[in-house]
Amino acid sequence: MIDFARVQKELQECSRDIESSGIKVSPKSDSLARLTGTIPGPIGTPYEGGTFQIDITLPVMGKFEWELKDGYPFEPPKMQFATKVWHPNISSQSGAICLDILKDQWSPALTLKTALLSVQALLSAPEPDDPQDAVVAQQYLRDYQTFVGTARYWTETFAKPSSLGVEEKVSKLVEMGFPEVLVRSTLESAGGDENLALEKLCSG
Amino acid sequence: MGDYVDSDDDYDYQDSDEGCDDEDDAVEGIEDDTEIVARGPSFKVITKESILAAQREVMHKVMDLLWLNAHHARTLLIHHRWDVDKVTELLVENGKEKLCAEAGVPTGNHNNDIPNLPSSVGCEICFDDVSVSDATKMECGHIFCNDCWTSHFIVKINEGKSRSIRCMDPNCNSVCDDAKIKALVGARDPYLAQKFDRFLQESYIEDNSRVKWCPSVPHCGNAISVDDVKLCEVECACGLQFCFTCLSEAHSPCSCLMWELWTKKCQDESETVNWMTVHTKPCPKCHKLVEKNGGCNLVCCLCGQAFCWLCGGATGRDHDWTTIFGHSCGEYKEEFEQKSQRAKIDLHRYMHYHNRYQAHLDSFKLESKLKESIQDKISKLEERDSISKDFSWIVNGLHSLSKFRRILSLTYPFAYYMFGGEIFKAEMTSDEKKMKRELFEDQQQQFEGNVERLSLLLEENFDDYDGERIKDLRARIIAVFKSTENLCRNLYDCIENDLLGSQQGTVHKISPFSIPDIQRIGLKEPLQQWHS
Ligand SMILES: [Zn+2]
Ligand SMILES: [Zn+2]
Ligand SMILES: [Zn+2]
Ligand SMILES: [Zn+2]
Ligand SMILES: [Zn+2]
Ligand SMILES: [Zn+2]
Ligand SMILES: [Zn+2]
Repeated sequence: MIDFARVQKELQECSRDIESSGIKVSPKSDSLARLTGTIPGPIGTPYEGGTFQIDITLPVMGKFEWELKDGYPFEPPKMQFATKVWHPNISSQSGAICLDILKDQWSPALTLKTALLSVQALLSAPEPDDPQDAVVAQQYLRDYQTFVGTARYWTETFAKPSSLGVEEKVSKLVEMGFPEVLVRSTLESAGGDENLALEKLCSG
Repeated sequence: MGDYVDSDDDYDYQDSDEGCDDEDDAVEGIEDDTEIVARGPSFKVITKESILAAQREVMHKVMDLLWLNAHHARTLLIHHRWDVDKVTELLVENGKEKLCAEAGVPTGNHNNDIPNLPSSVGCEICFDDVSVSDATKMECGHIFCNDCWTSHFIVKINEGKSRSIRCMDPNCNSVCDDAKIKALVGARDPYLAQKFDRFLQESYIEDNSRVKWCPSVPHCGNAISVDDVKLCEVECACGLQFCFTCLSEAHSPCSCLMWELWTKKCQDESETVNWMTVHTKPCPKCHKLVEKNGGCNLVCCLCGQAFCWLCGGATGRDHDWTTIFGHSCGEYKEEFEQKSQRAKIDLHRYMHYHNRYQAHLDSFKLESKLKESIQDKISKLEERDSISKDFSWIVNGLHSLSKFRRILSLTYPFAYYMFGGEIFKAEMTSDEKKMKRELFEDQQQQFEGNVERLSLLLEENFDDYDGERIKDLRARIIAVFKSTENLCRNLYDCIENDLLGSQQGTVHKISPFSIPDIQRIGLKEPLQQWHS
């Protein structure tokens, strides 16, 4: 069983220092077993400026009936990116995260907030040698510049709901007379930066 | 002492007068004709009852070496797969502190009782305040409530991590005290606490590269420990002889790979399939397999369909020796004939080796039944002469015969792979191969002849013999045993040096020749009587 008293306390604690950490955890529905975590993209990374949502599922209990009390926090929470993100240790398809503390390095003394902080730290420090997404990891190792561009583009596209949507940018540039396929690829290589893309289109 | 095991006498750590027999022999300075030559690596049988003692013995070494308590010694040994030499080496290299820290052995000096703490403790897991009596402090100094510790332990035990359950503090590497784990888990689930205890004990066998469970089915409960993990064959107290590397039945002089291939080949229908492709073909109409019956290439199925043996195509019935009218298949002919020729050769080769292998295996089975009839003859003799004599020479002679017989049968699959097939194809020219094969076969035949002679001697109806004739039989058995043993050793020399010695790599390492206990318990005693 999940120790819901503890989860309650964690939520209170977390909302108290939301200003300083920027990390938010809130229940998805009326059950405390499914929550949503929110982390800001770390400054100085291609994820800067983005806001990333993470689906959290708390393990209810073990496989055996006698493990009455042994769900969360004795077993790690399951976390998965709901926001699409381009990162070697996060699946670009499913959002699955490859992070040791969410697996065998979990300790019951860790909390949802500390776990989310570790996820945030992972965004700043990818470990391409232990990849979740082989395609991204290859790109990270072989063509770092393209990796940064793509990651930034994905941040612009998926993690910034307030900014101008990609489709709008595309149609704007197409209206200027550039072919759509070229516009999309240029926009992507420019990390979603509309002005940079225009510059490239004009010079190329 | 201890470098062989008597299969009737389980290894037992409690038994303190081990080694006495040996001393007696030495003291009496017995004349010994059968030289005791280098044996295979030494091994011990560990019975279910002696696992604990065996484990304790290793733990004591480490406890004495590092001044650790039993729990810490076990933690350290589990971390290093029970390899005391490795622990010793690392101790010299890195010092005690680093050695312990890496294995999760708490090194700090944290007192276990909590006298100067407040009466209640805030548990950082459940965020509750609990009274000190409901909290437990581990040796690393971290304190959490008993409920939380218990849940943590239960999760880890069920995850299969009983052997190294770490502290709940995320920055603490230290392994929790097994006595505390047992006590806390036992309070909630006594059955799981028992399981935990068993898991810990079995670590000595399952996490230990020098110890393996005997692969007998149903399991005899024993494990075997070797002094050196070098390739070797061992014999369990239950009688099973097995390869310590691949855990299948003893297979020397075949390498583990050869033996794996051979057993697969024997089980495999592929040889039969091969035979079928050589001798039968499916009817193009009803698809039943049809055997070729005559010399010409027209075959007729029971269903009435005629077809061409060479290409399998349906034809009419008009034909002569060379052609079927209205049918031409010349282009396939050559390829098909080559293929079927190859399959035929392969099959014949396999049959040649397999028949001999099987024949010796059959003899092996028959000879193992001899034990009873020999025992009968002994009883008869003892009744007649109304004295009991030592007949261990014939019993042990039979024991050695079965070992020789098994080795002999295995020389056939060995030869099958050594002199044909793909394994050594690139390693020898065909001239070389031919020369080596002749050398090998010569040795093999001599060995074979002697094994048969030994077998005949052991079948003699000695229950009618008088004292002189029995003495004579004993002398003959001893003589044949010795020459058989020499021939067997020569054969191994040939295999190890002339055949495999020139090969690169270690894939084809074989277990060395050894007749573990036979030399000493077998022919030594009768010899002293013989001379007296
Ligand atoms: Zn607690
Ligand atoms: Zn600790
Ligand atoms: Zn056994
Ligand atoms: Zn083997
Ligand atoms: Zn037919
Ligand atoms: Zn005919
Ligand atoms: Zn034909």
